[in-house]
Amino acid sequence: MSGPAPAATVAPPPAPAPRRRGRRAPSYAYVAPPATRRAQRRLGIVFVLPLVAMVAVFLLLPMASAVYYVFVDFNGINPQPPFVGLANITEVFGDPEVYDALWNNVIWIVIGTLAPLLLGLGLALLLTQVRRGSVFYRTVFFVPFVLPQVAVGVVWGWIYAPSRGWLNNVLEAVGLDAFTTGWLGNPDTALYAVLATAVWSQVGFVFVIFLSALRNVDVDLVDAARLDGANGAQRLRHVVLPQIMPVLLMVFTITLLGGFSVFDIIFVMTGGGPAGATEVLGTYAYSSAFQLNRISYGTTLALLITVMAIPFAVWLNRLQRRTSLEGGAT
Amino acid sequence: MSRGVPQGRPRTSRAWAGLGARHLVLGITAAIMLFPIVLTVSTALKTPGDVKVNPFGLFTSFSTANIESAWTTGDFSSYVLNSFLLSVPSTALVVVLSTLGGYAFARLPFPGRDLAFYLVVVGLLVPFFTYMIPLYFQLRGMGLLDSLVGTNLVLASTGLSFGTFFMRAFYSDLPTELEQAARMDGASEWQIFLRVMLPLTTSAVGALAVFTFLQNWNNFLVPLLYIPSGEYRPLTTGLYLFLGGRSVDIGPLAAGTLITILPVLVLFVTMQRQVTQGFLSGAVKG
Repeated sequence: MSGPAPAATVAPPPAPAPRRRGRRAPSYAYVAPPATRRAQRRLGIVFVLPLVAMVAVFLLLPMASAVYYVFVDFNGINPQPPFVGLANITEVFGDPEVYDALWNNVIWIVIGTLAPLLLGLGLALLLTQVRRGSVFYRTVFFVPFVLPQVAVGVVWGWIYAPSRGWLNNVLEAVGLDAFTTGWLGNPDTALYAVLATAVWSQVGFVFVIFLSALRNVDVDLVDAARLDGANGAQRLRHVVLPQIMPVLLMVFTITLLGGFSVFDIIFVMTGGGPAGATEVLGTYAYSSAFQLNRISYGTTLALLITVMAIPFAVWLNRLQRRTSLEGGAT
Repeated sequence: MSRGVPQGRPRTSRAWAGLGARHLVLGITAAIMLFPIVLTVSTALKTPGDVKVNPFGLFTSFSTANIESAWTTGDFSSYVLNSFLLSVPSTALVVVLSTLGGYAFARLPFPGRDLAFYLVVVGLLVPFFTYMIPLYFQLRGMGLLDSLVGTNLVLASTGLSFGTFFMRAFYSDLPTELEQAARMDGASEWQIFLRVMLPLTTSAVGALAVFTFLQNWNNFLVPLLYIPSGEYRPLTTGLYLFLGGRSVDIGPLAAGTLITILPVLVLFVTMQRQVTQGFLSGAVKG
């Protein structure tokens, strides 16, 4: 459920609420009498006050502190940390471990975004072409996504176990003994082994979203293309894909931004090891802050993740809004 | 206009073969998706001796000894309780505050509405990562570290931005005529919300509740950070602690994993429609 959590890292919302097909958006063209307006104002403030208070204390306040931490040297104890200016930021740029972690993040984002997207789309397309058992398949494909990442990490640890693990057993059984290895202990394979686990747990989410997008595809257009002699691939490329483009971009945004803040699954399965082979910015920020007591440095690293993710979020959101304006299905 | 990718009964033998191939691919995928869960159940329910001889093999014996040892010596009984104490109040808080807030932002004109809304949805843009470290020291300063209250408040606040955004979208969709008619009949603003609008969005509220509960139950980082002494350790961090002594006790570890995922699986399978619909409308609207 964490990893690319759909809730936590969704793209910035457009100001007007998205409309649902066939329903009317509220209009305030009707002018309420002053007594009603006063009552609405009062109720509105009462309804929003506790919400805003909680957000202010537990979101906005620590966000502001995060920015403050970057410019001081806080070790977690000193109540009056010394001002250090840009020292934390310059250290980040001179830290080779940051570049290694960043590179792992890049690999993670590229594969971890594309693989679920393609697999999820492929499975959804397949499922639209069968009738029997579609509820079963849908439920089963979605199950991994609702499991806690810790549990997922534990079980995949057994599959990857060096001796008598399932993956090695299967490889031996089919005569590929040469490829057996301690998947999570080998620096060459560890990142990809954890990534495969993450893809396993994310693909169901992508799949379910594509499935509903495909339900909204205009069949008449697909049929018309078929009559015009378009083959399956052409129909997909020119008729189906353009219609689900807004959804595709939305899924792309969610998985991409989730890739920046990946933590749970790596922390549980390898803790960033072996020898930093699976270290990403998230695990590095965590260990800097809570294991080395370098609170300010850890916070600077965490902010770096956000600063890097924001341009992507803005760009994708703009792209998404443009495609949906061009009249794709939702 | 018809919607959805066309389906039909295959007419030729080639089409039947195609259908068979599709089911084969879907079936193999389903097996890969289910295998880790089957492995958990089978390892958890083997005899401890069998686990030693054949740690990762599927069922060859049956015993509840692993479950019992995880439950008692592994302390999973208290983790289960803590998981509930950390997910139920935080979920209730998210659902109530997001519903009220979502309604107000969608239907009630009040001064500062747009500014307040943007402040609340900032949480959708900024990942938890950014502020998790300062939040630790802030909670320590407030005396809320290692406490059920503090952890619940943090869990709730991480879900509020999405919840408010989600509920606002639903309330925005309802027609204005409804509240005007109710107002003509003499209903107060509070009655309009409680008797007219709220009942129309119960399915959205339910989807938000299930979704938020799963998020909070599965949350790993928040209890890991803000319950450092482990006094109210939930299943997720409890399982992680258990993992520390890995390779030694695979039986009880499997049992602990089973205990951790069982409530999620039961909730998901019984509420399958609501969960996927909730995720869907959340993602599509959000």
